[in-house]
Amino acid sequence: MATLADSFLADLEELSDNEADVNEEEGGVDATNMEEDIDGDIEDIEALNYDDLDNVSKLQKSQRFTDIMQKVEAALQNGSDISNHGMVLEDDPEYQLIVDCNVLSVDIENEIVIIHNFIRDKYRLKFPELESLVHHPIDYARVVKKIGNEMDLTLVDLEGLLPSAIIMVVSVTASTTSGKPLPEDVLQKTIDACDRALALDAAKKKVLDFVESRMSYIAPNLSAIVGSAVAAKLMGTAGGLSALAKMPACNVQLLGAKKKNLAGFSTATSQFRVGYLEQTEIFQSTPPPLRMRACRLLAAKSTLAARVDSTRGDPSGTAGRSFREEIHKKIEKWQEPPPAKQPKPLPVPDSEPKKKRGGRRLRKMKERYAVTDMRKLANRMLFGVPEESSLGDGLGEGYGMLGQAGSGKLRVSVGQSKLAAKVAKRFKEKSYGSSGATSGLTSSLAFTPVQGIELSNPQAHAHQLGGGTQSTYFSETGTFSKIKKT
Amino acid sequence: MSYLLTTLTKKKEIDTIIRDTIDKVLVLRFGRAMDALCLQLDDILAKSSRDVSKFADVALVDIDSEDVQVYVKYFDITLIPSTVFFFNAHHMKMDSGTADHTKWVGAFHRKQDFIDVVEVCYLLFLSNPLNWIMPSIQIVDPGSVDIIMVA
Repeated sequence: MATLADSFLADLEELSDNEADVNEEEGGVDATNMEEDIDGDIEDIEALNYDDLDNVSKLQKSQRFTDIMQKVEAALQNGSDISNHGMVLEDDPEYQLIVDCNVLSVDIENEIVIIHNFIRDKYRLKFPELESLVHHPIDYARVVKKIGNEMDLTLVDLEGLLPSAIIMVVSVTASTTSGKPLPEDVLQKTIDACDRALALDAAKKKVLDFVESRMSYIAPNLSAIVGSAVAAKLMGTAGGLSALAKMPACNVQLLGAKKKNLAGFSTATSQFRVGYLEQTEIFQSTPPPLRMRACRLLAAKSTLAARVDSTRGDPSGTAGRSFREEIHKKIEKWQEPPPAKQPKPLPVPDSEPKKKRGGRRLRKMKERYAVTDMRKLANRMLFGVPEESSLGDGLGEGYGMLGQAGSGKLRVSVGQSKLAAKVAKRFKEKSYGSSGATSGLTSSLAFTPVQGIELSNPQAHAHQLGGGTQSTYFSETGTFSKIKKT
Repeated sequence: MSYLLTTLTKKKEIDTIIRDTIDKVLVLRFGRAMDALCLQLDDILAKSSRDVSKFADVALVDIDSEDVQVYVKYFDITLIPSTVFFFNAHHMKMDSGTADHTKWVGAFHRKQDFIDVVEVCYLLFLSNPLNWIMPSIQIVDPGSVDIIMVA
């Protein structure tokens, strides 16, 4: 290890002044591990210049990693041993191991991200678009490994690694990619990095399996609600039971949520805002319309259970089971049909005052039924002046003051009511605003015998009130012809 | 469907119900449960009893029972079904086009007719605070009730 370190050191001198990291290879102490990760992040920026994976990712070689993996494998092989509950939890070596496992799984995740960046940077020369098509780091690593240096993607079988739609997109993009094949040593390093990533992933799986098998011992209440697999995943992602307990429920709901969909796929069907909780039995058994509410409920109760577990308040798991019952009952209640509608008895007559409305709308409506000026004139009579009637000689309907006062007109021009203003405007536009259909010699002026030159055409008005020959049934300016109270 | 409406068989029951119904119209149907016309009327009464429940009470009187013969004689009930209207223990008279103004003989055609009669009873009596002046309702067409109010 030391000689290797020295040889790398020689390479590194010109590029970085971070000598400390090389000496940390022996680290089994947690403090130095933290530094490792930080250094890894700092180095990451300069990783582009690095040719070697080992300077970027150190976790796999660290002592801590190998220790824990050994213990985990041993424990998995021993099967579950029911440790004595009499012992205080913190002293129990298994519990310590589980805590370590949680921290380790987060570290592994970070490590995978770093390696993914490394692979991506190296592979960018060959196939730059791949990183935007395949998001998941492990999938990316697998695809890179499979494709290798191949330029023609039809020779590469990506079956089983990716969903077929994405395979199609990848093959199409590859045929038009701007990348060039990698040199042999770069390719080798990239493949190594992929292997490393896959190995880390396998290790993480093992750790999670172990945690899951011990879950009912670690967090009985949480696993009573969501099941041990999901509980292990939640704990792993959160980074420990106490970390999970500190999270608000909305965050717990989103733990493990997949990120955005691939371009071209509709987002209408995406199950939004659910994470690992989607895999719980309760969630799967609720009907789809209630799923969002059920998810929120689950997240809330599981957060409570996690808090109970983090303080070891209820080692037997009864609180978790009662939460589960509560959740079941609530979901049942949501599915109940609403109570049947009872017909209301009639109100006592005259006990409720009528609600009188007012305002512009009502006034407009009332205008349609208002008594017109013409009718008002017809209703009145002058003193001593006999009125005319429709059938003459006092028979038929009387015309009252209509047609009198020497105006010589039987027809009173219809007053401009506010309602009719719109109609009249439209009519005017039609007759005067006719574009191009009339000859150029027509004018809007009309020559009338009585008043001389008039702008508005009185003939048009006369037509309105109605020649019996013209049908007003289809008239655009006409209103109701007969209003009868029923 | 007379299981929805209370059936009175004793004089005392009739007394109590007339006395106890305050500020509500009381509708008493005199008849037999077996009679076809009675059944029609009972059907209408039962369906509308909930609707008018805020301002009216409906009850059935069985004219075959011994106890109520007093009332049968008092109201001079010969044809069934006969419906008598009360308000605040006052007997309401109405002119339904027949000679007999004290009661309504026969069934109603529609639920709405019955509801109209009851509403008018209520309105008239409420508008008239001196309860001992008996307003009368004139029912012009017994088939479909168009009510013309005569104070």
